[in-house]
Amino acid sequence: MEVLTSLMHGLGVAFQPGNLLWCFVGVFLGTVVGVMPGLGPAATIAMLLPLTFQMPPTTALIMLAGIYYGAKYGGSTTAILLNVPGESASVVTCLDGYQMARKGRAGAALGIAAISSFVAGTVGVLGLMLLAPPLAKFALSFSSPEYFALMALGLSMVVLLAGESLVKALLAMLVGLWLAGIGIDLFSDDSRFTFGMSEMLDGIDFVIVAIGVFALGEVIGNMEKRGESTLLPVPKGLRNLLPTWQELKACRFAFLNGSIIGFVIGVLPGAGSTIASFISYGVEKAVSKHPEKFGTGVPEGVAAPEGANNSETGGALVPLLTLGIPGSGTTAILLAAFVLWGLRPGPLMIQDNPELFWGLVASMYVGNIMLLVLNLPLIPVFAQILKLREYALYPVIFGISLIGVYSVSGSLFDCGLLAVFGLLGYLMRKLDYPSAPLILGLVLGDAMESALRQSLMMSQGSLSILVSRPMSATMLVLAVALLALPLFRKFNRWRVQAIEENG
Amino acid sequence: MAKASRWNGDVISGAALAALGVFILNEARHWPYMTEEGPGPGFFPLWYGVAMIVLSLWLVLSASLRTPGKTVAGGVNWKGVGRALLVWFAFAVSVGLLKWIGFLLSFALLTVFIVVGMYGKSWRLGIGLAVVNALSFHVLFRMALSVDLPAGPLGF
Amino acid sequence: MKPVRSTIMTALCAALLAAMPAWAEFKPTKPVEFIVHTGPGGGADVLARFIAQVIDKEKLAPVRFTVNNKSGGGGLTAMAYVAEKKGDTHAIAVFTGNWLTNPLVRKEAKVTVKDLTPVARLVLEPALIAVKNDAPFKSLKDFIDAAKKNPKPLKQSGGSTTSRDNVVRQLLMKETGADWAYVSFKGGGERIAALLGGHVNMMVIEPQEAGEHIKAGNMRVLAQVSDKRLAGFPNVPTIKEAGYDVPNVPQVRGILMPPGVAPEVVAYYEDLFQRLTKTATWKKYLDEQQFEDGYMKSAELAKFFDSFSNQMRGILKEAGIKVVR
Repeated sequence: MEVLTSLMHGLGVAFQPGNLLWCFVGVFLGTVVGVMPGLGPAATIAMLLPLTFQMPPTTALIMLAGIYYGAKYGGSTTAILLNVPGESASVVTCLDGYQMARKGRAGAALGIAAISSFVAGTVGVLGLMLLAPPLAKFALSFSSPEYFALMALGLSMVVLLAGESLVKALLAMLVGLWLAGIGIDLFSDDSRFTFGMSEMLDGIDFVIVAIGVFALGEVIGNMEKRGESTLLPVPKGLRNLLPTWQELKACRFAFLNGSIIGFVIGVLPGAGSTIASFISYGVEKAVSKHPEKFGTGVPEGVAAPEGANNSETGGALVPLLTLGIPGSGTTAILLAAFVLWGLRPGPLMIQDNPELFWGLVASMYVGNIMLLVLNLPLIPVFAQILKLREYALYPVIFGISLIGVYSVSGSLFDCGLLAVFGLLGYLMRKLDYPSAPLILGLVLGDAMESALRQSLMMSQGSLSILVSRPMSATMLVLAVALLALPLFRKFNRWRVQAIEENG
Repeated sequence: MAKASRWNGDVISGAALAALGVFILNEARHWPYMTEEGPGPGFFPLWYGVAMIVLSLWLVLSASLRTPGKTVAGGVNWKGVGRALLVWFAFAVSVGLLKWIGFLLSFALLTVFIVVGMYGKSWRLGIGLAVVNALSFHVLFRMALSVDLPAGPLGF
Repeated sequence: MKPVRSTIMTALCAALLAAMPAWAEFKPTKPVEFIVHTGPGGGADVLARFIAQVIDKEKLAPVRFTVNNKSGGGGLTAMAYVAEKKGDTHAIAVFTGNWLTNPLVRKEAKVTVKDLTPVARLVLEPALIAVKNDAPFKSLKDFIDAAKKNPKPLKQSGGSTTSRDNVVRQLLMKETGADWAYVSFKGGGERIAALLGGHVNMMVIEPQEAGEHIKAGNMRVLAQVSDKRLAGFPNVPTIKEAGYDVPNVPQVRGILMPPGVAPEVVAYYEDLFQRLTKTATWKKYLDEQQFEDGYMKSAELAKFFDSFSNQMRGILKEAGIKVVR
């Protein structure tokens, strides 16, 4: 019950007026930043660092953390309304979220995203609070072979994202893997596929591909017809703007699934919210009674990834606070902030600064509630965006996409790349190549290759390392099983057909 | 989309991807496949290059063997494709112009192009929307969020 | 420049500057752009932000210094950016050892440090050779002997193959004839996780990264990569003291400016940073981060650039890494 007393103490800290205020500022800013494609929590936190020197570290951390998890709430907004992923993890939300919007259920989708984010975010904080030390140990036992297996499992999800043609999905994934490999090779310092251009040395930013293929591909595709009608049907009345009980009921497993998967993957340094979203979506589809409906706009398809990317923030804070090891770009900046504030991140940080940890944890509960309250009433407001006529909306989408990309790197070259990927997105739509596998390959390619090479370096070239360790072996078996699934289904269909024909 | 055109599209895209696969393999040749410290930079590209070639050839094969169904009336909506590509081209041009005239102007121009050129609305509406768009982006991004917009020599 | 000529030039400049203090004085009049080659949170970024903070607090300059992140290409993007700002007196950049080593191996590099104006060197960052606390090695000699004997090689985690971690490894391997594997990880966090999780046996780590883990008892330090013992580790021998005669490879950080700036501008910033290093806040920072004060003025720094680059060239070639310039 030590946890409860500490939590009470933390709540006392969190409810101090100064901390409440800055918590609100943080989550509000985070939401805004999350909505804007390209501009991410990492850059915002960096920009606000000088401001934080004027305040006590606990308050500053409460605000910055608010930005971090607040951004995850905002990212789903443009994903659902405009098919523009506001944040890398929101890509998966685009798949069903945007389709729900097209069917007139934009408000419901936004609502489900907010509720799922709240549930999962809270679960994430719970996990952080209760499980931090043992999970830290778990995080350490995970190394390159396990990462490789995890990535392989993620890639095998392509089977579930395939739609009609598995071959095309696999090809899209391979192109994604290739794109991921562009740039400087970490291990040997060779530069690959850079065509001699120094702008390509760092590879192609994920945001450029995601926005180009998803958002621009969609808009350009819509330009084929000269339409007059409003973009998407917007139902009247508040009741229709919120999710129905039926929809919420359908999502009950998704809430759980998203929360757990997101948190566990967040704990692993290096595995990010995008992977968490994909895997959570894949799992949800795999256990669903109507898997073929995924991708056409099912509420669980929004709830699962949105939940995952929110509880991931709770998970990512575990290695940061318990070991001083940052798991992602944003947590790396938080780590730098700790140093600049004079704290010593590491195994002893929680011990030495209990009110910092518990104040943060308590404020995260408060922050999640604030975000739910902030986001739900805004849904009707956001839904009005859909009332704009196409000719007004589409230029705006072009503009936002461009700014989103420019704000990441400030490079006009990247803007040019955006145009290239816009064209690619359009071509893929026309030729029926699914775009989710492309993104999947792009996100996982780098990490998977590094993990494989690191594993082989550790084992001096022997692949057995991947199967001799229990966790990686299990995940690899799962991955193989997933890949074999379509073959199994086909075989089953033939069998059934044969029986029918003979019977 | 007509079945016939899809078949064609599959063959062409499959061939293109096979070519990409060959390109990847060619590049991968230059890098060490295996070094004493582990797999080299050539390792992964080699494998996915091979996979790409195999899969794309499979695609081409299965598409050409599939009997092209009756062509649906109208075939491929080439006019529509042309419109789409034109818009894309306009966007590409606006990106290219960023260096010369800055974001706000080129965005305004793109708006006008889409509203008037693509949707056939009046010039007044087009220019009006262009101004609204440009101004709101300026206010929202430059001033409220202090996000830099690409600026031309005129400073905006 | 030949040594004699540069000494004469330096003397002349110094004489000129000393003789006419008021004439060519420069003071910044608008915010100074402080360019770093990492994203927010990276080593150079944190240092720049700290410096900006100190300058602001101690009122060392009449204007603000704002950090501009130009990450990419392992530093090449930032270097190219600085080179483009020819003659800009309100732009400075943090350089690290990377700026010197990277162009040596990357043919895409269009700019080297010789194209830029050195201002001052600020710190030398030593490193520690650390192992997990339950490892059987009590000293560096133990580790190297084990590496020589063992058929199953030991592993070290670190950054890319041109990073300081690997350079230290190459030097030690060459000197002792031992061999052990090297596993690259992208981020410091992952390298530490690999060590603490028992997946690798040893790593070269910066003192401020290791400090807390050592205090908590998770890590043990075998030796220091430094010329003299750090205050925080009085009982740990340096590599030389441990008996291995390899040159010290510090991670170096300092300031430089775009090409084409007048000497009085350089002198202003030199002086600014010298005053910075004299503040108590800076000294405390060095203590906490366990950096060595390596302050050097521009003329000396130019020479250091040359000597360091040459040294690196030699080391990289020996390690079998392709050197392109």
